[in-house]
Amino acid sequence: MHVENLPAASSQDPSQGPSETPPGADRGPRAGRPVVVAKGVTKTYGRTRALNGVDLEVRAGEVLGLVGHNGAGKSTLMRVLAGLESCDDGAVLVHGKEVSGEAGPRAADFRAVRMAYQETSLCPDLTIAENIWVSSRHCLPRMRWRRAASDAVRGRLDEMFPGHGVTPRDRVEDLSLAQRQMVEITRASLVDRLDLLILDEPTESLGPDAARSLYDYVRRLTAAGTAVLLISHRIREVLSVADRVAVLRDGAVTAERFAEGLGEQDVLTLMGAHVAVPSERERAAAAHAAEGAAERPVVAELRGATGPGLREVSLRVGAGEVVGLAGLAGQGQQEVLERLWRPVRRDTKVLGTRAYVPGDRQRSGVLPLWSVAENLIVTAMRGLAKQGIRRPAEERAAVGDWVERLAIRGGADAGITELSGGNQQKVIVARAFASTAELVLLDDPFRGVDVHTKTDLYGLIRQEAAQGRSVVWYSSENAEMAHCDRVYVFRAGRVVAELVGEEISEERIIAVSFAESESDGEQSNE
Amino acid sequence: MSELLASALPSRARMRRTAPAVVSAVALAAMIAVCASLQSDVLTVGGLTLVLSATVPLVIAAQAQMVLMSVGDIDLGIGSFVGLVTVVSATTLVTSPLLGVLMLLGLVAAYAVLGALIHLRRVPSLIATLGASFVWLGLGLFILPTPGGSTPEWLASFGAWAPAGFPAPLLPILVVALVVYLLTSRSALGVRMRGLGSNPVALQRAGLRPLTSRVFAYTAAGALGVVSGLVLASQTGGGDVSSASSYQLMTVAAVILGGGSFVGGSAVPWGVAIGGVTLGLVSVVLSLLDVQSNMQSAVQGVIVLAVLAGRVVVGKVLR
Repeated sequence: MHVENLPAASSQDPSQGPSETPPGADRGPRAGRPVVVAKGVTKTYGRTRALNGVDLEVRAGEVLGLVGHNGAGKSTLMRVLAGLESCDDGAVLVHGKEVSGEAGPRAADFRAVRMAYQETSLCPDLTIAENIWVSSRHCLPRMRWRRAASDAVRGRLDEMFPGHGVTPRDRVEDLSLAQRQMVEITRASLVDRLDLLILDEPTESLGPDAARSLYDYVRRLTAAGTAVLLISHRIREVLSVADRVAVLRDGAVTAERFAEGLGEQDVLTLMGAHVAVPSERERAAAAHAAEGAAERPVVAELRGATGPGLREVSLRVGAGEVVGLAGLAGQGQQEVLERLWRPVRRDTKVLGTRAYVPGDRQRSGVLPLWSVAENLIVTAMRGLAKQGIRRPAEERAAVGDWVERLAIRGGADAGITELSGGNQQKVIVARAFASTAELVLLDDPFRGVDVHTKTDLYGLIRQEAAQGRSVVWYSSENAEMAHCDRVYVFRAGRVVAELVGEEISEERIIAVSFAESESDGEQSNE
Repeated sequence: MSELLASALPSRARMRRTAPAVVSAVALAAMIAVCASLQSDVLTVGGLTLVLSATVPLVIAAQAQMVLMSVGDIDLGIGSFVGLVTVVSATTLVTSPLLGVLMLLGLVAAYAVLGALIHLRRVPSLIATLGASFVWLGLGLFILPTPGGSTPEWLASFGAWAPAGFPAPLLPILVVALVVYLLTSRSALGVRMRGLGSNPVALQRAGLRPLTSRVFAYTAAGALGVVSGLVLASQTGGGDVSSASSYQLMTVAAVILGGGSFVGGSAVPWGVAIGGVTLGLVSVVLSLLDVQSNMQSAVQGVIVLAVLAGRVVVGKVLR
């Protein structure tokens, strides 16, 4: 049962550091030696470059806060630092020793680096004690491990989250979201030797009390010489806990500052990216659209919509308008699209027909066995048909028109899977616009699409809007929002800002999507 | 059963999970009551032995199915596999016992290899096991083209064993359920298998290889299939490769009746024992009720659907 004898977990004198801290070393918050170092770490997935030469040092006994916007590369960096993925270029050093590129989580080097995932990595059908066995089995006895794991997890939960209300025999599927998060953090912390604890959005589903006791525990851990890497989009929270803050932007660390004396605004400024300037024509069109928005007939409307993931959301879509839904990922934008797609509740009013462009083209976009032409025309087919009989000539004409208009490589008869990702995306977008739908819903469809394709598609969206189509567009890429007439910024299921015309800029969106409302701040800061 | 009675005041979540087995148990009790009212001898030791014996191989095969369903797979080859085991035990096991034992061990190993292939080649288990079922069938026909042969003496005497105090078939049902319970619910190996069915990503992040879990599960299923085949051969006294072809889907139904799920992650050995016996008893009840034999399958299906519907209703109430 040596889990109980964890240096940081024991109720022994917290100033008694673990063995790996050299005796007599200065353990001030900023003086520890590096535990994990990333040197020029580069990682690419297909065409997208997730990490672009990251240099980062996490030192013993400090809390390093990591902030960055959607797609800045936070989660990829975490996976590399935790040893779950190798990097293409550069090196990760654990205790000064370079870890080979093929190292996985089995590698002994990463055993003392533990990560609590935002979406948790627990097995829902197993009990808490069994989950602890899965992740910490090498520090549990072979016999009677169930008892040992139960004792260890109960002790640690009591210490980290008093009043947690779970027992080790509970199955994870029966726990509330907050309890699962607690168990996940506890799971990550339970190991015989802990050098670095990575916490990915740990307080996202925790209440204020639990968040406070978690950070108390984090301070005790660091006092004993463990390093903690904290990722959160709650900037005030990061500033109140961290010793240093690193800003990740476009796959690289662009700034590293001591948290002391740093304000929320300073961090937001450090995070702010360049403003993508749309072409003159688009800008003019957008400004013009903003003026005319008021007198446009309303196509769709949400009035105080509340439900799972949504709180009091009101928004309006006019005819011929491009409405953007912005903010951090998963703050309620997709729920709004869902409401507009299936307007079954009273608070949602949608006039006319709708088309939906899914973001995950592999899972819910393409029909892989069909050709480009069939994929493109499947929605419009019914409109073109006469008394239920398809009219191939008209279909061919429409397909040819779209293939030419969007310059889809490979032509109409190619199999859809022979196309590149960008061209597949063009087909899926064209499918929606080829239909007669009056309202087109876009669910972050341009992720991982190359720049040329994006430019083509932005142009298409504006053209179609000019002809009276309405578009609701959720995007995790804030620069894209510049192509909208109006943008609603979401945070925690609420609309926190409505930006029109000239107001729409990446900086503004970042500022409002991170800025915490007063009540939020009080909850998570104290 | 002990799982059901373990705690006097189970939590709501626990009740919800055991509800399907409870519904099956109620159906089981009802069927025994019907049998007893028609034929009062059913409640004697001899009567229960007669009624239960036919269900034993089914229950053991259903345990094999449950082990595979706990890792998220479904086995459509178990029926032919059990049939092949009866053929081997009625032929080779009699003529040259050593070779026969080796063949049975080889069949278990074949199951392990099948599991590894399914994992490494990412073939859906449904398709791979369906394909394997034709291999088992072909092998069985090759060894013994027409039903026949005779079982080894020790097996025959096990089949004829009739202790005085209790119905003999209960013993293999309970022993196998206990072994499977210890394997899947209590051991670390079981955690790995259920973890695979529940969240393979978590397993991988923790540095456990899903391949190992899957191969273990298939090995266990193969071993249980062999036991099921031996028991079946001891009862029929011969080999017939198609004698258990109805197990293919009956075992899946038994697992579902016992509270298992298609998604994987949960192991319900005691529930499967109840579900399997319930399913096996249906045909006994129907023959006692003088239902025409050509109608029996249809009525059997309706009864299974009724029990499943009861499970859904109870699940809704407890939610």
